[in-house]
Amino acid sequence: MNRQNYIVAFLLCSLFLAPAQALERTILLGPKTIGKAWRDNIILEPRHFVDAHPGDILTVYNDKAKGIAQGAFQNPSNWQGIAPEYGYFGIAGPFRMTLTDDILRIARTHGIAIGGHDYRILRVTLTDAADFAETIVWKGSPVKMKNDWSSSAEIAGRCFEQLNIGDGLRLHISHVEPGAACKLMDFTWNALDPSVDGVPVGGDNYTWSVWSRAPLLKLQLVGYGAQTAMRIGGKGYRLDSIGIVKQIGEVSEDLTNAQRAPREYVLQPGELFHGEKYFAPDWSGNLSVNAAPFQECTLNDVLIISYRLDDAAVATGTKAQLSIRDARWHEITGAPEPIYYPLDGTDVVYMFDPVALDKVKTRGLIVTGVGFTLTKIEILSAQ
Amino acid sequence: MGNKILILSLLLTCVSCKAQNAPDGQLQPNVSYTLCNSNATAETQRLWAVLCTEYGKRAMSGVVANVDWNTRETENVYQWTGKYPALNVFDFINIHASKDVNKQGWLDYSDLTPVTDWYNAGGVVGCMWHWQVPANNGTNYTCSPGTEPGQTSFDPSKINDPSSNEYKRMIKDIDQVAGYLKKMQKRGIPVIWRPLHEASGNTTEFEGGGAWFWWGAKGPEAYKALWRFMYDRMVNYHKLNNLIWVWNSQIGDWDWYPGDDVVDVVGRDSYYALQYPLAKEYNELLSHYPNKLICLAECGNGDEVDMSLWSKIWNEGSRWSWFMTWYDYNYNNGTSDEHQFAGEAWWKDAFNSGTVIDREEMKKLLAQ
Repeated sequence: MNRQNYIVAFLLCSLFLAPAQALERTILLGPKTIGKAWRDNIILEPRHFVDAHPGDILTVYNDKAKGIAQGAFQNPSNWQGIAPEYGYFGIAGPFRMTLTDDILRIARTHGIAIGGHDYRILRVTLTDAADFAETIVWKGSPVKMKNDWSSSAEIAGRCFEQLNIGDGLRLHISHVEPGAACKLMDFTWNALDPSVDGVPVGGDNYTWSVWSRAPLLKLQLVGYGAQTAMRIGGKGYRLDSIGIVKQIGEVSEDLTNAQRAPREYVLQPGELFHGEKYFAPDWSGNLSVNAAPFQECTLNDVLIISYRLDDAAVATGTKAQLSIRDARWHEITGAPEPIYYPLDGTDVVYMFDPVALDKVKTRGLIVTGVGFTLTKIEILSAQ
Repeated sequence: MGNKILILSLLLTCVSCKAQNAPDGQLQPNVSYTLCNSNATAETQRLWAVLCTEYGKRAMSGVVANVDWNTRETENVYQWTGKYPALNVFDFINIHASKDVNKQGWLDYSDLTPVTDWYNAGGVVGCMWHWQVPANNGTNYTCSPGTEPGQTSFDPSKINDPSSNEYKRMIKDIDQVAGYLKKMQKRGIPVIWRPLHEASGNTTEFEGGGAWFWWGAKGPEAYKALWRFMYDRMVNYHKLNNLIWVWNSQIGDWDWYPGDDVVDVVGRDSYYALQYPLAKEYNELLSHYPNKLICLAECGNGDEVDMSLWSKIWNEGSRWSWFMTWYDYNYNNGTSDEHQFAGEAWWKDAFNSGTVIDREEMKKLLAQ
């Protein structure tokens, strides 16, 4: 092999031996609206997590978040938070979760559900841990956050000199107790943004991502000297150190393996539900419709419930029940005992009486039952 | 001025006003609406007369301040519609942090500028009071009753025990607020005054329900005693004659009503503000309190449903004397693009319905 060939071979080897370029990969493409009252969610399929590692980061890019918006990462097998600190949290820009061994175990079997209320998911990405570089900027005496919220750590302005939009401020924590929560405040003791005003924390760190100029301005108000720029409070954990995390990798535009959110369906006039909702033989299924769509109903209207029978359940009985949407779920007609509507494959046509009409217009409706897949509920005028 | 004109003028400004247009529906109030304070100032009587005259015909539009001492929310409405709401309600929620009593305070209730500016522009002034007292942890202030460190065990029934610390605290706070209201009175500003609101919480709604403010935590008798004490302290001791007293009714809390002699208006707060349930609740209040004005003291989108458009609320038959939509701190801060409680579409519909009084119209009505 001559010298030229050696050089070519060396370059080729270098190319193959060099670490793969870290990338932020899109695993779900929206939009997916997460509406009011915790009604909506989307499940990230388990396949996305087969090759993921602890430390990798899931990012949910979103828009249309109201001030009260909350996000959640849930275990789809029981709908609990996938870790205690991810059961609910405020939203102020994209939100993230660092994968752990425990989370990955669930994700590889059941996937990860993203839920909450009052925002819209645009895109979900998965990024290798290697894509982020952290610099520790504070390591004072550890501060134990007492359960009465009375403790706080004062962090000098100089610690935030390198903090920019897109960065994360990572709090390394320990001695975490159940119900632990963190509050990030400016020097006037006001929360930096609503999402960090008592945010649940767990594991060994919590990362606050900076997505807008406003909180940075608050931190910079006191300059970058020794003066206190941030106060970190909360309860039930110990603050050990703080780092600034910067994303150093690239973003992949490849959508080949991305999961697509189902096309968003806009209910037609009169439609209360459209889709597929399974009602298992154990009575665990229910569908709740609040009172809003019934506001202009009259006694001339009828409720049409369309469904598909579960063949396996036909032998044991298929039926539906209509209840008042309140704490007791009483029969919609006001009758003391539940009334069951046997299902034979044809639509259920329910005619309102004055009592039932009043109940649905005041409280709303709960549909329960066994052995069918609900496909549509609509209100039709009998006239 | 001729005798006939003088008599007409007196009739217009009299304390007792006959409802000219009773609300539609089955229930028709058939009595005079009378302010419970017979020494009410002329400005207060004038505002009361306008409210009574308009009752059933149109509703006064209103918003609450962005937390405490400002008219920030009115600017949203103006930006969306080109009109200001008629009513701005200030909240004494942070009196412990007022600069006149706390050198480290961050606001100043003794500076009436936000109130006088609003009033001079023709606006109606309202005040409410999220009455915060020291929390159990000794550092925070809160309204929330309970035994947790951040809650308060403050006992409102101690209003009957002048030797108690709670009594002294309540007197001190009432007197502080009375001082601000007195300043308004001296400037000729009548105030729609709504203290001690939502007292029963959801106590009467379902088993396990409870009060969410400390003033309701000891039940209706303690609450009514506190209301009547406050009324007496403010009206008879401090000679506050510029107040129109609004009592807030929760669902089914008839036992909590302080009495006809100390209440001018009965209000309802609703964040499940759909037209049909609102009409039912309005009629229920009207049947229980036929000699009082009924107002929608707080309203807005809720966790479960968005509020019905005002035109639908009105068309369903309820005839609230006024409404007040709630503030969105995040929207006002620029951290949310959408108003949580009542946004542009809702307000445009309200003003386009022809059933709502804005600030300019109210100014003219008060000047007549």
